[in-house]
Amino acid sequence: MRAARGRVDEIYFSPGGTQARITCPARLIPAPGQYLQATSQDAILSTALFLAGSAQGGFISAPSLPENWTPGTSLSLWGPLGHGFQLPANLQRLGLIAVSGLFARLAPLVERALAQGTAVTLFTDHPPGQLPAALEVYPLGEYPALAAWPDFLVVDLSLEDIPRLHSILGLPADGRPPCPGQALVHTTMPCAGLAECGVCAVELRRGWKLACKDGPVFDLRDILA
Amino acid sequence: MSKYDLAFATPLMNAAGSLGFTPEGRGPVDLNRLGAFITNPVSLSSRTPAHARCCQSYPGGFLLHTGYPNPGLNQVIRRCRAKWARAPLPVIVHILGETPDQVATAVRRLEGLEGVMGVELGLPAEIDRTAAVELAQVGLGELPLIVRLPLERAIDLAHSVARLSLAAVSLGPPRGVLTNASGESTRGRLYGPAVFPLAMAAVASLARSGIPVIGAGGVYNPQNAEAMLAVGALAVQVDTILWTAGWLNKSG
Repeated sequence: MRAARGRVDEIYFSPGGTQARITCPARLIPAPGQYLQATSQDAILSTALFLAGSAQGGFISAPSLPENWTPGTSLSLWGPLGHGFQLPANLQRLGLIAVSGLFARLAPLVERALAQGTAVTLFTDHPPGQLPAALEVYPLGEYPALAAWPDFLVVDLSLEDIPRLHSILGLPADGRPPCPGQALVHTTMPCAGLAECGVCAVELRRGWKLACKDGPVFDLRDILA
Repeated sequence: MSKYDLAFATPLMNAAGSLGFTPEGRGPVDLNRLGAFITNPVSLSSRTPAHARCCQSYPGGFLLHTGYPNPGLNQVIRRCRAKWARAPLPVIVHILGETPDQVATAVRRLEGLEGVMGVELGLPAEIDRTAAVELAQVGLGELPLIVRLPLERAIDLAHSVARLSLAAVSLGPPRGVLTNASGESTRGRLYGPAVFPLAMAAVASLARSGIPVIGAGGVYNPQNAEAMLAVGALAVQVDTILWTAGWLNKSG
């Protein structure tokens, strides 16, 4: 973890919200699932920036961003923070589930998986534009019927979505996922792990954890408590 | 009250709940700029996160509702005592206690721990004067005791507890209520620059009364801290500015 200065270079408007091209030192670029704590001048709270894509001199951040950020906004950065995704080696079939419809945080995994010859399928009710041709997309509701296909499952969901995850995956209340997997729990993280304030607390199978420092990527079996 | 039981290298420290249970040198905050480290609030028994926990912004600040989750005093001591002993600055343990027994038990367990220079007792927001004095009384012991008063009742309660041999009083975040987009109300602690004028008024009033006070609330820049010291604060606590790249960060 390091501190550095960065900058908002461009702002993009996407169906999921505003994204930005962030200029920053390479050592601060978060891995997929990790985040960077970013603060603009005079901001009262910091913003967690997740990787959505690569860019020269920095990266593309996932939505959403503070409304007052504009191209040229100077940022104080700290990170990268948290535990990101860890895909198994020699993975054959990767299933991605964007529960809240936001694909951006999963996008970096698609590129890497396809590059190593892994077949990838995305389940979402809000398919983004400009997807790789090799990526199959199905509505969220189709997942239960296709649950036997992936070797590994990655889910992006908000803290509020967790209670309905069993239903989304077509599992009984005490059911376990049909394959190994991970879940990125997206929630407000005001202290970014500095204070253990508890706002981002996630109840797992074996007790409470904090998304800001123990996550935000968790083992899928632990989320399905 | 005796303000000479506490001595700080610099009159600046973090507020309870702002930097976790141990001072972490690897974090972004420059610990060399603090005169003491105050832990997150710790209760005798463990507390789980509040059901409707949230961080809700409004112009000038934000509301936090968390329930002060913590693993309980025994676990905190077990996990942290070695780090407290090695800490680069003195540690003040913030305890939550709603009954005299809880406070007395917690204070006794902290006495003798290397690196722990004092105890800060956080009073519940709705406590009455008699109960406040009772809790503070049983908290007195070998360690200097700071009593943290809810900001909105600080002047009222301070004059009651000031008769005891406390090291100082400090100011806790005020409570407020916000409604979310769904119309649900949440009560929680208020942080941000909008709190500063309230905190300044309380510090000035208590200092004029001769009560040793550690100022806190909405301190977001060095000028805020200097202003509190200028009106008589013994020291100043900073809270959520530490979660941004503020003036106390290594890059600041």
